[in-house]
Amino acid sequence: MTGLAGFLRKELLEIRRTWRIWVLPGIVLFFALTGPVLARFTPELLQAIGPQDAGFVIEVPDPTYVHAYQQWTQNLTQIVTFALIIMLGGVVAGERKSGTAVLMLTKPLSRSGFILAKFVAQSALLVSTLLVGAAVTWGVTWAMFGEAPLRPLGAATGVWLVWALMFVALMLLLSAMLGAQAGAAGLGVAVFIMLSIPSAWETAARFSPAGLLGAPGRLVTGQPVYLAWPLLTTFALTALTLGGAIVVFNKKEL
Amino acid sequence: MIPAIELRDLTKVYRTVRALDGVDLEVPQGSVYGFLGPNGAGKTTALRILSGLSRPTSGSAHVLGNDTTLHPDQVRGVIGFLPDVPGFYSWMTGEEFLRLSGRLFGLSGRVLDQRVGALLDLAGLSGVETKVGGYSRGMRQRLGVAQALINAPRVLMLDEPTSALDPIGRRDVLDMIAGLAGRTTVFFSTHILSDVERVCDRVAILHRGRLAAQASIDDLKARHGIHKVRLTVRGPARELAAVLQSAPWATHVEHPEDDCLELSVQDLAAAQVAIPREIAALGIGLRRLEAVELSLEDVFVDLVGSGLP
Repeated sequence: MTGLAGFLRKELLEIRRTWRIWVLPGIVLFFALTGPVLARFTPELLQAIGPQDAGFVIEVPDPTYVHAYQQWTQNLTQIVTFALIIMLGGVVAGERKSGTAVLMLTKPLSRSGFILAKFVAQSALLVSTLLVGAAVTWGVTWAMFGEAPLRPLGAATGVWLVWALMFVALMLLLSAMLGAQAGAAGLGVAVFIMLSIPSAWETAARFSPAGLLGAPGRLVTGQPVYLAWPLLTTFALTALTLGGAIVVFNKKEL
Repeated sequence: MIPAIELRDLTKVYRTVRALDGVDLEVPQGSVYGFLGPNGAGKTTALRILSGLSRPTSGSAHVLGNDTTLHPDQVRGVIGFLPDVPGFYSWMTGEEFLRLSGRLFGLSGRVLDQRVGALLDLAGLSGVETKVGGYSRGMRQRLGVAQALINAPRVLMLDEPTSALDPIGRRDVLDMIAGLAGRTTVFFSTHILSDVERVCDRVAILHRGRLAAQASIDDLKARHGIHKVRLTVRGPARELAAVLQSAPWATHVEHPEDDCLELSVQDLAAAQVAIPREIAALGIGLRRLEAVELSLEDVFVDLVGSGLP
């Protein structure tokens, strides 16, 4: 894969030197820090802002580490996924628009190498961000509740990572295909919504990537989760989408 | 010897527009070749096909014998390319961009260090710590030429390298190109005839996607009368115009104002001797005689008139 290593190095340096190092890690760390705190004080907050009339009672269960973990998984599956989609809308389109792709691709860097380097670099950012975010969530949860089992948190975060990697590949495809950041991001959000709908239908959730959307929440609450087919189909779709991005980009005239 | 660049019946159609229409062209190895044409002539399209960024609709493009569509990897390994508007990573310094470019060619260690240092010197960017985002247009263009040279390319392709540069920036870039003569094949597109005259030994003229001419600069001058003279006299110039029209070195005489003539001449030296003599013979009096730089339109008119579609 000609030029892959050199271009990957540039991708990683670009993440470190530009806004990319702040956006996704910033959002994830913010939720990692605030999620457990919010879970811990939500009952008091509700009591404080509720009506003070005599006889009105708000029944809120005592918060536990599970609530903190639920906050974490909800934020991942919604806000962080949206942020990822919007952030990656210009991952290829931006280089085409600015003309940098032309200078890179007239050197011994194949278009496959161009796409793969971006996938590896963005995945590396995602993995490292999630590792730090999960560690912070675990630490703050332990500090707030005195209890923070690693296994459910690790499993839920890992499952979401597989889901997110599929979106990294998808956004590479859409960004290569459409050539416009806003268009790619819009279509990415549309795909996310389309996958969210069948996630509520058990049969679809059991046998397709849609099953991974609700899986992190179920894992932290100890509910049964069917992971084999959702994971398998998500890996397959990730590989197909990544291959599609390479094929589409190979056919594009720059 | 295999041509550095060979286009055979190269055609590129964008929907209804024929950007290139059956272009045949050969660029000998080692030449500094000017690819002339007005904006929209198809120069950039041809260069994009040659650099593997675009594919021909029909016909073929070869670089050192390698088909640009079938063997793009081999082509990319031997060329250096500068697009008309080079896009750089604004967060990098010029040195970092050159290092990135070198690594893509597999350069590393001392070779990369030496190459980067030499090219920064050549581009006048040594010691410049500013990020590329803060570069002037001239600095970006010089960095563009430098990055195209990082692999010591056998064929250097430059798309309008001097357009939109100020006179000093233009001179610097032309000096860089002239300095490469004899070391590598340089193929550069431009619409500025004087740039071609300054650094090229051969030239092709593209017009509306078709090749109007390809020749050495000397041949082109000899064949197509490539000088223009503007003349201002004391008094009416009508009679002088009639006399000069019949001169063997004059190809075209215009009479834009009563006391002014513009002549296209094949032999500038002969014209500079003959014109004052004819003026003296007619007793008119010469106020001004100047050689004028030809525009591309002048060459086109002289070369093909209105015969092109």
